[in-house]
Amino acid sequence: MSSPSAVHRTGRLETYSYDDQIVRMFIVATIIWGAVAMLVGVTIAFQLATWKMNFGLQWITFGRLRPLHTNAAIFAFCGNAMFAGIYYSHQRLLKARLFNDVLSRIHFWGWQAIIVSAALTLPFGITRGKEYAELEWPITIAIAVIWVVFAVNFFGTLIRRRERHIFVAIWFYIATILTVAVLHIVNGLGLPVTIFKSYSVYAGVQDALVQWWYGHNAVAFFLTTPFLGLMYYFVPKAANRPVYSYRLSVVHFWSLVFIYIWAGPHHLLYTTLPEWVQTLGMVFSIALWAPSWGGMINGLMTLRGVWDKVRTDPVLKFMALALTFYGMATFEGPLLSIKSVNSIGHFTDWIPGHVHAGTIGWNYLLIAGILYYMVPKLWNTEIFSKKIANTQFWLATIGLALYYVSMVSAGITQSLMWRAIDVNGKLVYPNFIETVVKIVPMYWVRAFGGTFVFISFLLMTYNLFKTMNQGTIGEIEVFEAYALDDSSLEENAGHHRKLEGLPMVFAVLSLIAILVGSAIEIVPSLLSNQYITKIDAVKPYKPLELLGRDIYLREGCYLCHSQQVRPMAHEVLRYGKNSEAGEFIYDHPFQWGSKRTGPDLARIGGKYPNMWHYRHMINPRDVTPQSIMPIYKWLVEQKLDLSTLTKKLSVMKQLGVPYSDVDIASGVENAQAQAKLISADLMNQGVPKEVEDKELIALIAYLQRMGTDYGSLPVNK
Amino acid sequence: MNDKTDLHLEDDEKHILLDHKYDNIQELDNPLPSWWKLTFYLGIIFAIFYFILYSIMGAPSLRDDFKKEWAGIEELHEKFNRLNGKYDEVKMLAIIKDGGVKKGQVVFETNCIPCHKAKGIGDIGPNLTDEYWINSKGTVDTNYPVVFNGVPDKGMPTWSQTLSNDEIYQVVSYVQTLHNTHQPGGKDPQGNKVEDEVKK
Repeated sequence: MSSPSAVHRTGRLETYSYDDQIVRMFIVATIIWGAVAMLVGVTIAFQLATWKMNFGLQWITFGRLRPLHTNAAIFAFCGNAMFAGIYYSHQRLLKARLFNDVLSRIHFWGWQAIIVSAALTLPFGITRGKEYAELEWPITIAIAVIWVVFAVNFFGTLIRRRERHIFVAIWFYIATILTVAVLHIVNGLGLPVTIFKSYSVYAGVQDALVQWWYGHNAVAFFLTTPFLGLMYYFVPKAANRPVYSYRLSVVHFWSLVFIYIWAGPHHLLYTTLPEWVQTLGMVFSIALWAPSWGGMINGLMTLRGVWDKVRTDPVLKFMALALTFYGMATFEGPLLSIKSVNSIGHFTDWIPGHVHAGTIGWNYLLIAGILYYMVPKLWNTEIFSKKIANTQFWLATIGLALYYVSMVSAGITQSLMWRAIDVNGKLVYPNFIETVVKIVPMYWVRAFGGTFVFISFLLMTYNLFKTMNQGTIGEIEVFEAYALDDSSLEENAGHHRKLEGLPMVFAVLSLIAILVGSAIEIVPSLLSNQYITKIDAVKPYKPLELLGRDIYLREGCYLCHSQQVRPMAHEVLRYGKNSEAGEFIYDHPFQWGSKRTGPDLARIGGKYPNMWHYRHMINPRDVTPQSIMPIYKWLVEQKLDLSTLTKKLSVMKQLGVPYSDVDIASGVENAQAQAKLISADLMNQGVPKEVEDKELIALIAYLQRMGTDYGSLPVNK
Repeated sequence: MNDKTDLHLEDDEKHILLDHKYDNIQELDNPLPSWWKLTFYLGIIFAIFYFILYSIMGAPSLRDDFKKEWAGIEELHEKFNRLNGKYDEVKMLAIIKDGGVKKGQVVFETNCIPCHKAKGIGDIGPNLTDEYWINSKGTVDTNYPVVFNGVPDKGMPTWSQTLSNDEIYQVVSYVQTLHNTHQPGGKDPQGNKVEDEVKK
């Protein structure tokens, strides 16, 4: 039944216009950064297929470039697209110009400056060492500030709206803005050492928990909810169809927002995170399946009756495929969260496969649809070439299919090889490299798939710039609408309908919805250490080891090597004793990693002689023929920087690492003495030149220490 | 603002069109799809039961499962070590007769050259072509346990975790052919000098 007839609006008639220029600016930025993000992505894909693509240059070696790719794809490409789409739709849905033109410009230029500063720091190894939160503290603060500018602009517009009720798209925008702020600030907390270096305030298990609460919800609230909001605006507009089900919007919005925030610990299954938190992460992920699919149903069913147009209209074509990939990825997510499935998929290429089904399949394709909708409207013209758009569509689809299929098969193949145990209780493939060599062909397929996607993006870039070129930015249109007064109130409105007329109350409620799960999962672990059994043998890092650890972070080792032996027979056989929570209490930040392109390193300490590491860093293939690891020869050329060591030790002390004042004061001396021992051993083995003041010595010190405090204790303690 | 739209509506939708309108977007009042509702409820019910079962009622944890799995593995290891690990002269002769040296060279080249280099001249690990030995006396019976058990403190892996018993015999027989060959470019001697003994 339809509700009572529309309210008759009275009151003051006002004129207004939209700030479309800011939308155009964000659109251009989206296109440029999207191309950059994909170019870097294709580069690192080839680097995995052949180590030679690292060119022996530290600034473009995989470990430095991968953070650049993820940050560019998420924050630069999807970020700018999100802002363009939100600023376009928000104004129209509220019949109001954006709150403040100056704030809009600060938002735009501030965000671009952040992206540029990311591009200028990550290749130099300036990183916090936390995935998707790599940017060092000054940039992290800048992101928070610009995000607040965005929020003020957004909520200011809401206050000045001329439409009483807020449409479902805006619900999703609200949840996005509030949650991203909470996530970014809590996970970003750190203590600075220098302008380019800080340490996370959390350590070990706690840092892991906060990081993946953030990391998972960066996917949820940066790549999913805002784009669901955009979908709710642009799909009905482009299809000229009513949204399929208002009731479904209500139920799936609240359930999605409430449940999503709990799911983070599914990134930490089988780790030393308390098991009840792992279980919560798993069960909420499964409960999340239906709420996620609510968005897909509402999107695809909105296309009911216009599927013939989907065949011909590039805008709808991209949107329909994006929704399909969204449905696929949000089914695969819960599946991968089931503990036993996760034990196979985790640390393998299945995960990048899954992620790209989301980022390419959902984000890129939806953004393509939205851009093809907005650009002709904002430049008063038609799409330059539907044919190019069609070619782009198929190239992207084929590229993504190659990407996904190669990664899933690589992941499952390698995982099965990792876990194969023979009748004698021994690993069938004890040499990790055997399992790598097997999947290198798949890395080539992925790289070419990625290249297809990149080329498809370049086609769109050309098509859109041509469209802009042939169009004109017309006169600014002026509209009329009644100012908001009591005449817009509906009689007999239901509860939720009333709530839609009270955006600030709506905002508070959605904030509460995401804070509940966050608080129950995270606060207990942060406030008390009772979940972590202390291990007396585990001592803080020696000064040289700490410096070595910072080099490990700088080079992005954690992007290919994990530091977590899961409680599984094949892992213990391969790597040594399974990890315990108490081993990581001095790890600011934790370095468990999420992918094993190379083997786990949690028990690397003492496994090989110093000389092995020396050879391995200069050329990994000297000790592991067929290794795909890049060379790190600059580590034997660059002098170790001792100048910040004292400061680093005292910052660690402030964070609760039990260094005494003497430890700190004698830190440099201590580091030099340890370096002397290691380099003497190397020279004894025939290393020709003096290496004792080089970075490699510190890295070796760290690697040789790793996992030994607890690992060397007798079993069955 | 132009409120005229050419909204595409199916016949069976006209009665459920809500009159909310946002920038001309309208919404239908379709009920929640029943299969969706079912999935939604089942997900929640599963979540509750699973959590109660594993985190409150104490169903076996991941670590419990692991303990059980590991006990089985240790049993297999004990059996393996009971049957292998002791040098057996008869077996060695049989292996050599079966082309053990040649096979051992393949094993050596796949597993040992990263540290001992081709022909055993030594790099990360010691030179195997001189008369100095660290952990053995350079004979097959004393080399066998070094390969089988490894010397983990000095970086020699426990090869019985990687290689089969036959492969260990093969590689030991190959290494024996390198002994005292003094290959050029070899690493400086390490360990104790062993006076020439009768080989094999």
